Amino acid sequence: MDIFANLLLGLSVAATPVNLAFLFAGVMLGMLVGIIPGFGPAAGIAILMPITYGMDPTGAVIMLSAIYYGSMYGGTITSILLNTPGESASVASTFDGYPLAQQGRAGPALVMQAVASFVGGTLGVILITVFAPLFALVTRSFGPPEFFLLVMMGLMTLIVMIDGNWRYGVISALIGFALGTVGVDLETGQTRFTFQSAEMIGGIDFIPVAIGLFGLGELYYVFYQGVHLKGAGGIVQYQKEKRFWPEWREYVETRFAMLRGSMLGFVIGVIPGAGATIASLMSYSLEKAVSKTPEKFGKGAMAGLVGPEAANNAASSGAMVPLLSLGLPGSASTAVLLAAFLMWGLTPGPLLMTQKPEFAWGLIASMYLGNMALLALNIFGIPLFVQMIKLPYRILAPAVILICTIGTYSVNGSMIETALMFVAGLVGFFMKLYGYSPAALVLALVLGPLAEQSLRQTLTISRGSFGIFLERPASLWILGVTVVILATGLLLHWRRQREA
Amino acid sequence: MNGPGGDSPGRAERTAGWGAVRAGFLLAILFLAACYTYIAFAELSYLSSAGRLGPGFMPRIIGVSLVVMCVLSLYADMKHLRAGEAGSPAWRSAAVLALLSGVFVALLELLGGLVSMMVFMAAALWIFNRGRPLQNAIVAVVLPLGTYVVFTVWLRASMPRGMLWLAF
Repeated sequence: MDIFANLLLGLSVAATPVNLAFLFAGVMLGMLVGIIPGFGPAAGIAILMPITYGMDPTGAVIMLSAIYYGSMYGGTITSILLNTPGESASVASTFDGYPLAQQGRAGPALVMQAVASFVGGTLGVILITVFAPLFALVTRSFGPPEFFLLVMMGLMTLIVMIDGNWRYGVISALIGFALGTVGVDLETGQTRFTFQSAEMIGGIDFIPVAIGLFGLGELYYVFYQGVHLKGAGGIVQYQKEKRFWPEWREYVETRFAMLRGSMLGFVIGVIPGAGATIASLMSYSLEKAVSKTPEKFGKGAMAGLVGPEAANNAASSGAMVPLLSLGLPGSASTAVLLAAFLMWGLTPGPLLMTQKPEFAWGLIASMYLGNMALLALNIFGIPLFVQMIKLPYRILAPAVILICTIGTYSVNGSMIETALMFVAGLVGFFMKLYGYSPAALVLALVLGPLAEQSLRQTLTISRGSFGIFLERPASLWILGVTVVILATGLLLHWRRQREA
Repeated sequence: MNGPGGDSPGRAERTAGWGAVRAGFLLAILFLAACYTYIAFAELSYLSSAGRLGPGFMPRIIGVSLVVMCVLSLYADMKHLRAGEAGSPAWRSAAVLALLSGVFVALLELLGGLVSMMVFMAAALWIFNRGRPLQNAIVAVVLPLGTYVVFTVWLRASMPRGMLWLAF
């Protein structure tokens, strides 16, 4: 079957009234998740997973994926109007988005970010359509050594790219790996670190951990920063009637910034561990470097807003490629999405596109429709979302904690998991406070069992020799890419230190 | 507007106490890592009975690496302890919110889902949203009721029943 036939099949699945309703609910919820500062897509998807229990699997995954990419759109609204990114991928949008709003250009900035997000998101989905099947074809030959190296590559990328203490990044990942070893050892059947508790035999479920780290932990941190004391006074007002739409020349002048951001974002999104935040920050640096007027950056340059916006949306699409074709999540959000896939009996990997084409292509087709819905929602729903931003954080935060707690309990009806979520919230707060990486912890927790199994299988195949990683062409390629990423990360780290 | 304990979004102060909290967090991780490593070496075998890599193989690598990284980080963080570190003046709000959510989790099995939610929301709003009793009362009743209906009726998910019903 060719791409167009696959897409038509996908559209026939995604465009049913029920799936369209789930899609629209997903993009709306994604926008809300993106708007609430300190409440990222990982926690949003994890908490809303129980809502999908009674649904058809395809509709459920369409909705949860829509929350994921919808949050990329929503996060920017607060970046522009409040100088507070809704989630980390929108940090770069504050650099020029907020100055534009302060100059009385909030309307054009909001419309341009919506258009850039649409361009990035849609180009990203087009690239998924083309490359995901190719990727799946190439990776069919991957064995345990390649899977182990891919997991390590994702974690190393996440650690070297974080703007902080790399030692803390490594510690975070190791904690995740350690938690991943709790439960029954799959090869020998022996229990590990269960302390004779029946509830621990199945291992540590990462859903309560993700909700705790990214939901509760972030909320405590936002309270620690005193955001709840500031109120909505800092919101820049805009008038819908006066100069709401951008001028035509602004679309023309920023068209290449959108395209560059989309391409860069997609490539970075495909690399496990890199993600939308890094993509948007790199796009900002790129736009500043190629601009004829770099001095305007940070003072309200439209290219400084649209480039990162296109990049973070394209990156969120790019991250779906390794998820769909390898079953490897590259970020905490896609790790939670993977859990949703598995919960519905859908195992992502090289065979997903051939064995479950209606699901895989239904999801991809829904992303085209979702981006269109988000464009319309972003432009015409701005007044509604501005009202939501005005909701006081001192009311919003307890409400979100309530939903996190009840949502966690409802997954398995377990008080131990609910208590685990609370402990993870406290740990998440300190991790955020001191610059550890909750994303590395969650990713290592999810991928740890796969990494351990792959490494043990690899060493069994090679009779204990690590030389096997250098003997296989695919392994060598992955090692090469890892070295390039590590070198780039170290170079960026060195540059940051020099500039500081 | 001030939060609990007179919190205000003012200037952060650099004190040795905040550096000690950072070191304390790392020491706690180091302690747990040491326990993990001990169990990995003492209770889990490196090789299985079939002569393959056993259940202790990976935990030993993880445990030793974690201990080494914690010690290295502690050494590198000594400068924070000496120079002190800036903490947010709004830390009390975060502590109160964390305490409230801990009590909320503890109350779930005692009071049941619905009553615990109402108690939690009422307490949180009474502390953080002072001076608006009517608004607080409405939110503290309507939001838990709505959540209860969504989870139990629509989603048919389980909700803690609590022990209060035993009295009736």
